[in-house]
Amino acid sequence: MLQMLNRSIIWSLGILVASAACLVSPTPGVADQPADKYVKVELVSEQDAIVPGKDLWLGFRFDLQNEWHTYWINPGDSGEAPRIEWQLPAGFQAGAIRWPYPERLSTPPFADYGYEHQVLLMAPVRPPAQLKDGETQKIAARVRYLVCRDVCIPGQQQLELTLRVKSAAPASPAGELFRATRARLPVPAPPSWKISAASIGEEFVLDLESGKPAKTPQFLPLHAEQIENAAPQVASALPGGVRLHLKKSKHLLKPISRLEGVVVFASGNAYVVNVPVSQLGKGSHTQ
Amino acid sequence: MKRNLWSSLVITLLLVSSAYSVKVGESAPEFQATDSNGHVQKLSGNRGKFVVLEWHNNGCPYTEKHYESRNMQRLQNEWKSKGVVWFTVISSAPGQQGYVTAQQENEYLKQMGASPTAALLDPKGDVGRLYSAKTTPHMFVVNPAGVLIYDGAIDSKPTTDQADIPSAKNYVSQALEEAIAGKPVSTPTSRPYGCSVKYGH
Repeated sequence: MLQMLNRSIIWSLGILVASAACLVSPTPGVADQPADKYVKVELVSEQDAIVPGKDLWLGFRFDLQNEWHTYWINPGDSGEAPRIEWQLPAGFQAGAIRWPYPERLSTPPFADYGYEHQVLLMAPVRPPAQLKDGETQKIAARVRYLVCRDVCIPGQQQLELTLRVKSAAPASPAGELFRATRARLPVPAPPSWKISAASIGEEFVLDLESGKPAKTPQFLPLHAEQIENAAPQVASALPGGVRLHLKKSKHLLKPISRLEGVVVFASGNAYVVNVPVSQLGKGSHTQ
Repeated sequence: MKRNLWSSLVITLLLVSSAYSVKVGESAPEFQATDSNGHVQKLSGNRGKFVVLEWHNNGCPYTEKHYESRNMQRLQNEWKSKGVVWFTVISSAPGQQGYVTAQQENEYLKQMGASPTAALLDPKGDVGRLYSAKTTPHMFVVNPAGVLIYDGAIDSKPTTDQADIPSAKNYVSQALEEAIAGKPVSTPTSRPYGCSVKYGH
């Protein structure tokens, strides 16, 4: 009896290990999982070759079926951002993922931050300076992600890309997508701008002074649980800009020292916000 | 017609304002719901005990992570044996993922070997909206005085991967352990992670 039990445990362990192995390294291109019906993920390169010592931009292109979305680095009230684990050849180094600004996906009384249709999550990869001209290098990564419509499905892909080492690199067919995506990457605000934030009672007040009035920009928080994601962001005019009123998250029990995120204007221009928060408190005497 | 409009407006306003009334350190709002065995359960019927609320959707991959690994069942058993009341709450609307009849829920509990104190059926989403439950799972802990002491995620690893459970910090157990030991809860809130709660429209 005990032996039988042992055998069945070993047998189920064997199945577990086998299925775990499948999960960890599905054969590229032959992966068969429910999420594949709703999203296609590919590893693409901006350039068609590796130039020794020079940054190469690689990206994960998500093509989502209509109505499906995946998530920004801060997914908002539900969901999960894609996670990427690089598997790089010796001497290669990857930089941080550059996240295009997302859409606010409203599901009252909550809101998420994510992408519909298509998104490219790009990162620079620096190859070593010593590489032989003409040799090939295989760059691989495991991507785990969640796609949702009204329901959510997790997925993962083992992706790889083989590129040849050359002294100069022509653009790849994906080059245009990299250029288009860069236009959606938040940039630092011009140095002439004044950006400040204050904590006043139940809200944060974010002042954006560019010298010109601006219509209702939208603030997208980098960190979870600082503001109520679904609360309307009321804008009021300042002489040289705009003030945004952001409702604090009820999960925020302690003051925060900085407000970080992205502000997106109607023009589609997006700027990085990373400012100290002054504590003004409701009816408080201290500043 | 007009009166209907006004009363629905008033109800809407009440719901909207109550959506922000649940806050750690304050009284947990009273609720009443029928469980999968047909019993009416109230929060106030459990004064003097710790109460855990676990938002649930049996089709959500984050819920599956904690049930297929038996993590949730283990937590339910552990804390029930220490006198804690554990309510699983299902706020999926009819036709939405996770909606179950009483009979389906009892079959699910049996099949999964899950034994919360009770599984509350909340198809109108009243309890969910009252607590502003965002995700499945979304966990709340109420202390014996009826004060909310935890509102957030089940643990520190917001993924669907069962392999992440052993190395994650379980915020519910931490809150209960600290509160039972008479200490302040070191992580009283966190970002709940999971699928959105499938409320009706």
